[in-house]
Amino acid sequence: MIVFEEVSKSFDSLEVLSGLSFHIATGQMVGMVGPSGSGKTTILKLVTGILTPDKGSVRVAEGVVGYVFQEPRLLPWRTAVDNVAAPLRARGRIKAEAREIAAHWLRRVELGGFEHYHPAELSGGMAQRVSIARAFAVEPRILLMDEPFSNVDAALKGSLMQILTSIIRERKPTVLYVTHDQAEAIRLADRVVELVPGNGLRELDVRDRA
Amino acid sequence: MGSTTPHKGTEADGAPESGAPEGGVGFRGVVAASEAGAGRRSGMVRRARAAYVVAGVLAMLVAWQLLSFVVSPAVMASPADTAKALAGLAWGSKLWVELLITLKRLVIGLAMGAAVGWLLGIVAGVHRQLRSFLEPLRWVSMTVPAVIIAVLAMLWFGLGDLAVIFLVAVIVFPTMYVNTVSGVQAVDRRLTEMGQVYHFSRRLLLTEVYLPGIASPVLAGLTLATGVAVRAVVLGEVLGAMNGIGHAFSRAMAYLETPELFAWIVVLLALMAVIEFGVLRPVRRRIMRWRKAGG
Repeated sequence: MIVFEEVSKSFDSLEVLSGLSFHIATGQMVGMVGPSGSGKTTILKLVTGILTPDKGSVRVAEGVVGYVFQEPRLLPWRTAVDNVAAPLRARGRIKAEAREIAAHWLRRVELGGFEHYHPAELSGGMAQRVSIARAFAVEPRILLMDEPFSNVDAALKGSLMQILTSIIRERKPTVLYVTHDQAEAIRLADRVVELVPGNGLRELDVRDRA
Repeated sequence: MGSTTPHKGTEADGAPESGAPEGGVGFRGVVAASEAGAGRRSGMVRRARAAYVVAGVLAMLVAWQLLSFVVSPAVMASPADTAKALAGLAWGSKLWVELLITLKRLVIGLAMGAAVGWLLGIVAGVHRQLRSFLEPLRWVSMTVPAVIIAVLAMLWFGLGDLAVIFLVAVIVFPTMYVNTVSGVQAVDRRLTEMGQVYHFSRRLLLTEVYLPGIASPVLAGLTLATGVAVRAVVLGEVLGAMNGIGHAFSRAMAYLETPELFAWIVVLLALMAVIEFGVLRPVRRRIMRWRKAGG
């Protein structure tokens, strides 16, 4: 569950969000579209708590948050398995245990055998799969995704999406998924909202999707 | 010695590593084949480069020999005379005794100056206020000429170990500090944000993000600092010590033992070569292994 009530957020003198309210039910997958600069990434950061609202309140269900960034954001000096294991170690798991869980999730994103590769040895699509494994390894109650496919070419996008949706269906986290691709959002999400600068959120009709 | 620039070493020393991957470790399948080709090519390039370096060394030796034909042997010893003097020093215990004394001062001074520069650099890289607070100290330690620090060290600590070690530490500090600060500031913000999102503890952020992130500039700084430290230790020993290579060098000069004087220069160069190519480069290559695929 994610609840925004009258949330405002400014950077210096630029007001990015003003009095924004919305509600995402537990287990729901919401796609959020909108032009760049409309505050999509700011909303995600408010959910994680690394930003706090100037006004209003953000309430998020108890539990871990998983985050898939636009770029993979892997530690270049750590192997794939240690990259996935790092957030688990932050949650107090011992190294061996964290690695075991990490290796499981790497197999889940079809990267079995690449555990000991460094990010520089992986392709862009493979690196993004490592970051997906990292997001799920913490068993998130909430999954945030910030244009996770925007740096992946069209051919890879399909397989990446398939992996992602199958895991989401299985684990049922609450998902907030930011994209600028409305068709993609409609295809993946239960609900699609459009962030209109200055005017808040507009609900888009997704019932007539193919 | 006061004109240290951050990252200078990165470009100079990064060159051999920034080429094609070393072959062997790489992508699977098709990519592996083309990488093996690149590995062979880079091996040839490296051998050709090494040949030029050897040629450069030989050219300097030839020039030295030619000059010694023209110039009086009182001011310039020939390579042969220098080698003879060197053999004489190595035969007795003198070379090894002075070398150990100098090495001890160098290592202690370098370790102290580098450790302080590194620690303060990490904290100051994160805290802007501390960075501003330390800025005058950095400026002073980089600007005061080494010879003045040497004189002050003699005044405060007398002749001997302490004065030389102090001089080396003070000279090394800003080199290491500046490189570490700029390393911390250059750490990828996207990675620290990732750490925040996944609730990395302060310790985990340090060991997983910051320390590996600054390894490259820190190692470059250490290489620079070592060169600076060798020069400082000799200066300190020439002015403020009764033993060590620098003192032996100035004694040889006072007694006009020119071949011995040149022999000590060769000893210094050899010492520096062992430290740089035998210790620093291999350490650096090991720590920076993750870059092997060119990322």
